Amino acid sequence: MTAFRLPFATALLLLAGLPLLATAALALAALLDAAAWRALWEDPHWLRALSLTLWTGLASTALAWWVSAALLAQGFVRQSLGPLLRGLPVMLATPHAALAIGLVFLLAPSGWLLRALSPWLTGFEFPPPWPTTQDPWGLGLIAALTAKEIPFLLWTAATQLQRDDLRQRWRSEHALAQTLGYSPQRAFWRVVWPQLSARLWWPLLAVLAYGLTVVDMALVIGPASPPTLAVLAWQWLQDADLAVNAQGAAAGGVLTLTLLGTALLWRGLQRLHRRGGQRLNGRRGAASTPAGAQPPVGLPASHLLLVGLYGAVLLALAVGSIAGVWPFPRVWPETLTWQAWHRVWDSRSTVGTTLGLALASAALALAWSVAWLELAPRRWDTALRPVLYLSLVLPAVLWVVGLYSLALQWRLEGQWLGLLLAHTAMVLPYVLLALSPAYLGFDARYAQLSASLGHGPWHFLWRIKWPLLRRALAASAAVGFAVSVAQYLPTLYIGAGRFSSVTTEAVNLAAGGQRSLTSAYAGLQFVLPVLAFALAAWLGAPRRFKPAHP
Amino acid sequence: MTTFSLSRRELLLAAGTATSAAAVPSWAQPATPTWTGIEKAARGQTVYFNAWAGSETTNAYLQWVAAEVQAAYGIKLEHVKITDTADVVKRVRAEKTAGRQAGEGTVDLVWINGENFAAMKHDRLLLAPWAEALPNFQYVDTMGKPTTLNDFSVPTDGQESPWGMAQFTLFADSKRLPQPPQSMAELLALARRQPGRISYPRLPDFTGTTFVKQALLEHVADVSVLAKPPVTGDFAKVTAPLWQFLDALHPHLWRGGKQFPQSPAAIRQMMADGELLLALTFNPNEPANEIAAKRLPATVVSWQFAQGTIGNTHFVTIPYNAKAAAGAQVVANFLLSAKAQARKADIQHWGDPTVLDLAKLPAAERALFPSQPLPGQVAKPAPTLPEPHAAWVEPVEKEWTQRYL
Repeated sequence: MTAFRLPFATALLLLAGLPLLATAALALAALLDAAAWRALWEDPHWLRALSLTLWTGLASTALAWWVSAALLAQGFVRQSLGPLLRGLPVMLATPHAALAIGLVFLLAPSGWLLRALSPWLTGFEFPPPWPTTQDPWGLGLIAALTAKEIPFLLWTAATQLQRDDLRQRWRSEHALAQTLGYSPQRAFWRVVWPQLSARLWWPLLAVLAYGLTVVDMALVIGPASPPTLAVLAWQWLQDADLAVNAQGAAAGGVLTLTLLGTALLWRGLQRLHRRGGQRLNGRRGAASTPAGAQPPVGLPASHLLLVGLYGAVLLALAVGSIAGVWPFPRVWPETLTWQAWHRVWDSRSTVGTTLGLALASAALALAWSVAWLELAPRRWDTALRPVLYLSLVLPAVLWVVGLYSLALQWRLEGQWLGLLLAHTAMVLPYVLLALSPAYLGFDARYAQLSASLGHGPWHFLWRIKWPLLRRALAASAAVGFAVSVAQYLPTLYIGAGRFSSVTTEAVNLAAGGQRSLTSAYAGLQFVLPVLAFALAAWLGAPRRFKPAHP
Repeated sequence: MTTFSLSRRELLLAAGTATSAAAVPSWAQPATPTWTGIEKAARGQTVYFNAWAGSETTNAYLQWVAAEVQAAYGIKLEHVKITDTADVVKRVRAEKTAGRQAGEGTVDLVWINGENFAAMKHDRLLLAPWAEALPNFQYVDTMGKPTTLNDFSVPTDGQESPWGMAQFTLFADSKRLPQPPQSMAELLALARRQPGRISYPRLPDFTGTTFVKQALLEHVADVSVLAKPPVTGDFAKVTAPLWQFLDALHPHLWRGGKQFPQSPAAIRQMMADGELLLALTFNPNEPANEIAAKRLPATVVSWQFAQGTIGNTHFVTIPYNAKAAAGAQVVANFLLSAKAQARKADIQHWGDPTVLDLAKLPAAERALFPSQPLPGQVAKPAPTLPEPHAAWVEPVEKEWTQRYL
């Protein structure tokens, strides 16, 4: 096996690296059009769109980061990480677009929130003319992005905290800090958080990139005139005029530069902050609990709020999908109809396409990731990571330009295979990101032990390593599945419109405004990944040994 | 058992249509032998029909069409769901730029009209004339509905086949709006009385553009200039009254006219919720459809402005590089059949007015069409006003975008 190691790793490297690099190169090549940049510069909207992008992207990232940090601190100190993480898979699996659609149904002037308060409290007989969705300030978009990214950050942090080596070290360091007189809270912020947050740099970058460049969510709940720059770029890319397309690609370039700039800025600020934070001033902080007493157990209010929000969104989608005539301010529809679900059933090939793509791309990405982590030298891995994360970091509007050019050259546009490869390219970095902490943190002594017992490498992998990593493997596959289900731009662009997934249907219908069918598809978009995560949880559940004598 | 015999009868009917189509008058004879050849070539082909898919009734109708052409002609019809036909134009153009030859394209049939057709025709992205040779074309009401031959003042020249009719129509709940406005001027007065309760879709949405064109039509000094492309330098002068009107209207619209809903369906949902007073559509039967589907209350009425509103025809066309050009023509012919047109006009299914002249049809086929108006249908149809020439659309949209977005 050792003899094949490097050739295999090289093959894996070429298999993933070359197409990704080619895609990136083609995407960047689209930026070499001076006329397009000029046209962009002269466009009356792009500067305002860019400032909206910066505002919504940075505000949502900062909010998500702070709330996640606070939740983790409380979870770590109260030793209640388990309950904190329990609802996470459902939230994590919720596609961005579904959350946005559900939020619109809650917050709109004719939404559930105001229906519940009208007319007894508000006096409204008709929905008020309030801009509560697609608000010009991007507040709805910020709320939706924040609600969606907190679970992602919590979960990536959890993958670190679940590593045996780290967990034990951090627990003992935390305990040590307390013996030096630091309060549990302060000990977390001084000792654990600097180490944890440094490991969350790539996930954070993904959140920032997503916030700055999201299209589907912004189409549904973001500001409309002007929209964010990513939406503007997407609209230009869809124009019938080739010159306007080039302008869209240029806007994608601006987004890339924006992301680069903000990422560097963020990094710099973080470094500055850390340097300041390292200067310990000896203050221990008041002990939050009397000595010897257990810290309070329970979930923080912000976590309950988050769970409640997701529950309300799911309920809004479920009711919306069977609503017929439903005038304001009635809380419950006047008529109920299953028509939307009949329509979904009639076009079940859409669900089939979604499932097939998600299963296949998650499987491919998982197989590649396991092989890569198993075979590639660590130095290669470190070197390849930036390339692999390109699709996370490059704005999706620009990335699909590259993917589409590549698909055109390989004659894969409008083909299932092309769509599968595009999805796999999008899924791969997430799966790798999800899998590597547990996989790389696997205790090397198991291998030595297994070898010393005379077992070959395959026996070790099949009987010891992979079964022990079952949970991480299943969870990573579920992440890949969820990412694939949520893909909007690649499905639309590479699929040449021939393939519709529940996500493309939901977003297209959300623009059309028909509540019941939109809700049905958004609900499906919600349910499919949740099922995948439930399956992963079931597969990954630790073996239980029943006592022989009850 | 009942459904089986019904579908069998439908099949026989379809076969009957085919035979009667084969026995067409002498002037159509030369086309007949090639038509049999086309039907033969079409068998077994897969036709990718790129059609706007924002409405579930349309999608369901196309699923029915797919089942019918599969049974009758052995054609597999795939509905490629799109949100904007401009994407398809762009795709075909990209394919031409990439050097794709005839028979190498990804698009076989497109639901199209107006500027997209004008663009495809201008850029030579269309198959050579074929539509007027379709056996069922003889029943098209080319006299009574001249827009079946003139797509936004651009002659169709047999490069697209008429599919359905449309006319700008408004609808509202009569409980909330007992006296519907009968002109743009009355609409403005209503908006002043009830600010924030009226809107129209953001351009370049088709219905939004039509709203603006209707306003243009009602404010231009001489309507005849709109039948020709705008004369250079004249555009600002001709359209000045339009912008004056919109400037006056916008402050009283939903969200102060600073934001516009994305689509007429969004407006319809907002009207149903009570957020807006009235909704707009280009399909006169849409309100009746929605009432039948129990998504709108039965108190909703629809109307057209007393002096008339803009109307047009929508078509299907075939790109130059269609892989299944024969299959696409057979599908286009089926879409023109009395059976398909009657089902399309039936609000149970879609409710899109027919392009056919019912008087030309054999009595048995005429009987397929309903005769009584339904709740929500326009009680007093107003005259159909011709669309301005397609060349007006782009500058109007551009100017609108510049002024109001």
